[in-house]
Amino acid sequence: MTEKPSRLQATFVPAEDAIAWWGVAELDDAIREQGLPAGRPGVCRLAVARGDEVRPANVPVRFADLDAARHGLLTLDPRAEVGASVRAWRDAARLLDGDNPESGDEAFGALGLRMPPAAHAVLDADGTAIAAAPTLLAQFRQAVATRVLLRGAAVTAELRPYQAHGVAWLNARPGLGHGGILADEMGLGKTLQAICMLATRQSEKPHLVVCPTSLIGNWRRELARFTPTTPVIIYRGASRALPATYPPGTVVITSYPVLRKDEPLAATAWDVVVLDEAQQIKNPDALASRAAAQLSATVRIAMTGTPVENRLDELWSILNVTSPGLLGTRGRFRQRFVASIEQRRSATAAAALTRMVTPHLLRRTKADVAADLPPKLYSTIVCTMADEQARLYREAVDRAFTAGLGAGIERSGRVLALLTALKQICNHPAQYLREDTAAPGLSGKFDRATEMLTEVVEQDDRVLVFTQYRAMGELLSKHLGTVLGVGPVPFLHGGLATERRDQLVHAFQEDDDAPPVLLLSLRAAGFGLNLTRASHVLHYDRWWNPAVEEQATDRAHRIGQLRTLNVHTLVTGGTIEDHIAQMHENKRGVAEIVSGDTQAALARMSDDDLHAVLDLGQGALA
Amino acid sequence: MMPPEFGATPWGRAWVRTVESTSMARPNPLLPRARTLARNTTTVVVAGVGHVEAEVTVSGQVRRVRIDLPLWPDETQAEAGRLIARAMAEHRGLVAGDLPDTLEADLTQHAISIAVPPEAQQGECTCRARTRPCVHILATIYALAQLVDERPALAVELRSTPTKATVTADPGWVALSDLDPAGFYGD
Repeated sequence: MTEKPSRLQATFVPAEDAIAWWGVAELDDAIREQGLPAGRPGVCRLAVARGDEVRPANVPVRFADLDAARHGLLTLDPRAEVGASVRAWRDAARLLDGDNPESGDEAFGALGLRMPPAAHAVLDADGTAIAAAPTLLAQFRQAVATRVLLRGAAVTAELRPYQAHGVAWLNARPGLGHGGILADEMGLGKTLQAICMLATRQSEKPHLVVCPTSLIGNWRRELARFTPTTPVIIYRGASRALPATYPPGTVVITSYPVLRKDEPLAATAWDVVVLDEAQQIKNPDALASRAAAQLSATVRIAMTGTPVENRLDELWSILNVTSPGLLGTRGRFRQRFVASIEQRRSATAAAALTRMVTPHLLRRTKADVAADLPPKLYSTIVCTMADEQARLYREAVDRAFTAGLGAGIERSGRVLALLTALKQICNHPAQYLREDTAAPGLSGKFDRATEMLTEVVEQDDRVLVFTQYRAMGELLSKHLGTVLGVGPVPFLHGGLATERRDQLVHAFQEDDDAPPVLLLSLRAAGFGLNLTRASHVLHYDRWWNPAVEEQATDRAHRIGQLRTLNVHTLVTGGTIEDHIAQMHENKRGVAEIVSGDTQAALARMSDDDLHAVLDLGQGALA
Repeated sequence: MMPPEFGATPWGRAWVRTVESTSMARPNPLLPRARTLARNTTTVVVAGVGHVEAEVTVSGQVRRVRIDLPLWPDETQAEAGRLIARAMAEHRGLVAGDLPDTLEADLTQHAISIAVPPEAQQGECTCRARTRPCVHILATIYALAQLVDERPALAVELRSTPTKATVTADPGWVALSDLDPAGFYGD
């Protein structure tokens, strides 16, 4: 039986969080005949026996969702004519068909010994080995246990298969005695996976999330959205304090600047420590890196979207925090690996390093998980205001209401002026104050945009950045031109001659040397431009009409395009931007806001209502 | 600061010293060329118990080098084994393939040479040069030193009778070559 199996085969595929049915020509018929769930079609890298050898192959499969597959296997007719691999996974499903997914180590051990290789034919990255049966069974149990925990934890999110695998991978870390790096490409939902991990840990100790200051609000928002019952403490500002005791499952959110020099954080025993945007600890000598390494924790998880595996010093620094000792001392690491790989491209050293790092790093690209992704992937990033922004914002609101907004036409004009001022402050104080240079550290959105664009550029992706303000576009162009290291960043706006605009579009679409970032004024970019080479779109500020934003987004998206487009929208937490965004999302509120004429609607509100909308909400400074 | 290209660790350095010995009256004039070859066109094919094989390409021609290295005598191996066990116990959690540098000092102190001195190396090369060691053999020693830098444990493996303990395949994976096609589907 070494040519083609005559019977249906089954293999658990962790990366898909599914059991793959495969092996027979009429696959759909065979699955239906056995009453098994059909699942989704796909192609999987599996080992197969052909002639007198076992070799890697791209095998057409159906991926059955783990829960459905287990149910199908449990109800499989005992006389069914199926491969031994299907019976093996039926036995695995039976072993878990109790209350306690932890039970039965011995029974699983015995099952591992009798499983045929076809049941664990999942290939490694270079297609030279398959997962050992005990390893795959352990991953199967972890995946099932994670699903049980997620249901129990009331996580209000539908996880994509690769995300479910990510959560199971994260959940397996503490048991392995070390942390890890979740390095999925930007936009694939790293935050959600980390939140699921935090929500499913059963520990008396609190969890800690460390992120850039501009992201504190986003973490708070995402936690509230996906696990509304999780107690959250924001730990920042001069009057910050940690409680003496924590309700179970508490998540403390803080920033890297606070982590650097904070004694209470260092003195607390944490369960999971999540280090978001882990480029912040890429320098082992930095205070933040040292403080992160010294935190007392059950497990440390780093998150980053940049491909750290290619930058050895950064990789060492981050793994030194998550998995201390894995790569040895920094000096030894340089002697053994950095010199060998970076100076003379030693294949043996690179292979040895990959073997060491692979179990500690999970990175999926959009291309890896394309089958799981919709054509457009939307994300709203809530940015935290800088102190200076908040001061200017409050001042502008107070001044306007103290002076009075008047009535009628006059009121419309004054409300419009106020809204414009507030939006400018949200963008960057420099735009509001009409300065010609925007410095970092003064605007949450500005800092966050810089970080995100840096990541996109490092990934060799291309991105369109939309703003509705010419002044903001100029400020961004100047700033990004100096920090991204890709030369001057062009800004396409209505003031340019048609010829110049065409040049910019052509360069972005066709020229490999052109900067991978193109800034566009929302107004100028409304029509006819074809910028489909972008794989990311960033809306820097809100146009209060979703249809206009969507039209801009579609510059980069065409029907039939196979690649997923990430659409990121920046929102300053607690501000007018945030209120409007929430009204759009909830599809409620004033009719005009939903239909697009936001300013008119706001002008018609009473002073009290308007003040409530414009006032800085509690989310502003998180 | 970047470590030296050849002999970044004391383990690799021991091998570099066999060709750059300071006891010689003057440096071997072939060494710069040997380093260039090691850097660019030398491939170590086998580095295992008691011998090294490499291919050195010069002007499109491949020279095959084989160097036989005497193993440590039994009593030396036993002594080295004791020292290694002690050093590893003192340095738990050492990265796979690494050895503590204190062990190198220990071995030297116990007069156990890590590298094989040139006069004890049995080098063969397919080139026709009359001088031995030829530049290709020297290049092979440099390339070997780099492999030892990458994996210090190799320094000990070169001189020891193989033991089961030196085989450390990842238990999480099964190589395709270890699978029997006949039993692959189990029925």
